[in-house]
Amino acid sequence: MLIVLQREFMERVRSRGFVLTTVLLPLFVGALTMLPAMVGTGGGERRVVVVDRAPAGLGELVVRTLARPAAPGQPDAYTFRVERVAAPLDEVRAGLNRRVLAEEIDAYVYLPPDLVAANRVEYRARNVSNLQVERDVRRAVSLAVQTARLGAAGLDVEQVAALLRPVEIHTARITEAGEEEGSAAASFFLGYVLGFMVYMLVILYGINVMRSVLEEKTNRIVEVIVSSMKATHLMAGKILGVGAVALLQVAIWAVLGTVASRHSGGLMSRLGLPADALSTAGVDPWVLASAAGFFLLGFLLYAALFAAVGAAVNSEQEAQQFQTVALLPLIAPMIFITQVISDPLGRTATTLGLIPFTAPVTMPMRMASAVVPAWQVAMSLAGTLAAVVLVSWIAGKIYRIGILSTGKKPSLRELGHWLRAA
Amino acid sequence: MQHALLVEHLSKRYADHTAVDDLSLAVPTGTIFGILGPNGAGKSTTIRMVMNIIVRDAGRVLLLGCDPEHDREVLRRVGYLPEERGLYRKMRVVDVIVFFARLKGVDAPTARREGERWIERMGLGEWRNARVETLSKGMQQKVQFITTVVHGPDLLILDEPASGLDPVNQEVLRDTILETRARGQTVVFSTHNMAQAEELCDHVCIIAAGRKVLDGRLREVKRANRTGRYRFVFDDPPPGMEELLLRDARLGAPVRAGDAWETELEPHQDPAELLAALAALPAPLARFERVEPSLHEIFVARVGDAARPHRRPEHAGA
Repeated sequence: MLIVLQREFMERVRSRGFVLTTVLLPLFVGALTMLPAMVGTGGGERRVVVVDRAPAGLGELVVRTLARPAAPGQPDAYTFRVERVAAPLDEVRAGLNRRVLAEEIDAYVYLPPDLVAANRVEYRARNVSNLQVERDVRRAVSLAVQTARLGAAGLDVEQVAALLRPVEIHTARITEAGEEEGSAAASFFLGYVLGFMVYMLVILYGINVMRSVLEEKTNRIVEVIVSSMKATHLMAGKILGVGAVALLQVAIWAVLGTVASRHSGGLMSRLGLPADALSTAGVDPWVLASAAGFFLLGFLLYAALFAAVGAAVNSEQEAQQFQTVALLPLIAPMIFITQVISDPLGRTATTLGLIPFTAPVTMPMRMASAVVPAWQVAMSLAGTLAAVVLVSWIAGKIYRIGILSTGKKPSLRELGHWLRAA
Repeated sequence: MQHALLVEHLSKRYADHTAVDDLSLAVPTGTIFGILGPNGAGKSTTIRMVMNIIVRDAGRVLLLGCDPEHDREVLRRVGYLPEERGLYRKMRVVDVIVFFARLKGVDAPTARREGERWIERMGLGEWRNARVETLSKGMQQKVQFITTVVHGPDLLILDEPASGLDPVNQEVLRDTILETRARGQTVVFSTHNMAQAEELCDHVCIIAAGRKVLDGRLREVKRANRTGRYRFVFDDPPPGMEELLLRDARLGAPVRAGDAWETELEPHQDPAELLAALAALPAPLARFERVEPSLHEIFVARVGDAARPHRRPEHAGA
């Protein structure tokens, strides 16, 4: 069994594919998460013309607010170059439209004379779906109008703003160890990353096991092998060998991740996350350990399932159908990912966390974003472990018979016969 | 141990046909034993049951004195070449060989040493680090053959070893089989190539439709299946010899076969009379012999149409 394990391990680790996924996958995932921050919606200069027919002072206030430099910590905000025109809209409309089309300006906004009463302005732009520019314009005009109304009521804007200042919320999770700093966004991010990683790795390496079984079966190598060792040992060696590769890959990523997180502060803040969102320092080691545990159990569970699928079918094409069915319970938590992460103690999350087939993906997500009751963790682990034992036992039987049968694809009834025969 | 392989009353039935029916074989240690039969006769099924790859329905198998169903360890002393070939396509040649040797319980350094030795011997030296998939089919066959013998088995079981080999590689295979016997090891192989079996085998067993048709030492099988056919050759036959021969009633109806003549005697006829008649002819008799049937002829005569009643089994090749 060790020899099989060793071969599966060495052949995979040596292959070009392993090096590629080890290097490229983090780059890919990284690029995917960072990309929006890099190209982003924000940044850059927008030129806006304010057609000001409003009562004196309002237009100036709008222009001043828009032109104010963006607050620090909001790297995606625009800087505005504002031009104020006092002519009536009908006189300048054609010219402004032309300038918009010629990309000389991005948008113009018309402040009518009855602005305060009508509570309405006209906004024209080439691209009206850029919500951020529109939002900034709305905010500036609203501020001006509110100021005017407050002034009419004899109140000072600054005073009112001070009175209406929103309360800051200081977020911290309560854990066994006491209070723990960390924002909701950071734990959301971590839960997402952990769940997604478990999901990807289980699929990736589960299918790897299936391919390997199928290769031996279609090549008839298996005939020679099972004449030297037990089929179940072959299966176990295969699963453990592939599992060892997966662990190695995760270990490499963990090291890379730790290194990267030292330098990731800037990027994280561009994403609007705290600088330490990616760093493992801020994460409960218990969460990471159980994520690893759930990953291992999940891998064993699905690898056994896939080994049986590989043994039962005769070609990759046939495998696809079975494969999809086998993957469904793994995909389920990804469908409910928003519910699970945003309400990690809710009913959906709890249920998915207790079902052995969905637990491996669900639990790391939950545990990263909340303190899951210990009994649930224990029950989930025990349940998954029991499922691993049961599934391996059944899969072993299917494997033993399937790997030596050729011919047509077995029906479910035949699989039943195999179970009884083995 | 007298018999390297002993099979008694072996049977395998599938839902709609019987692949092997009450088959018994005895392979003496140190011999080359051929299992002959047409396609679908149950050769592979028999071999797979011997190797404990498929479970037998009835009968007994003693492989090197042990029942492989209970004593799996014995399978490590056997080299098995399956009918359908296959190797790990992505692996390097030397790694494949070492892997299979180690599966059979050989320690890593020995496996490497023996593997290298066989690679050199089969002329694959410059390919030792190539991936299997880059080799030609013939070279892959050689690699596969090495994986069968690299662990120094006491018994080689080869299922259709010659299929897919070109004449040069068939020669290599033949030599290896003969060397194996010279080392005191035993070779069992299945084939439907009678000429090859005739050349190599000490013992043969012909099976058809899952049943044994005949078996025994090749020489004895041939003797037992002799007909009344005699062959004779003259030195310098004078012109007109042919008419003379055809007219002589004592010679039956001789047929020309190259330089020689052949005639068939009825069972009651005495070959001594034939010889006397030939000696009286006006040309010196150079050779006179009873014709041994070729394995091919025996096979065709004994198997004939009898091989056809069962359809080709689903789980086995030949």
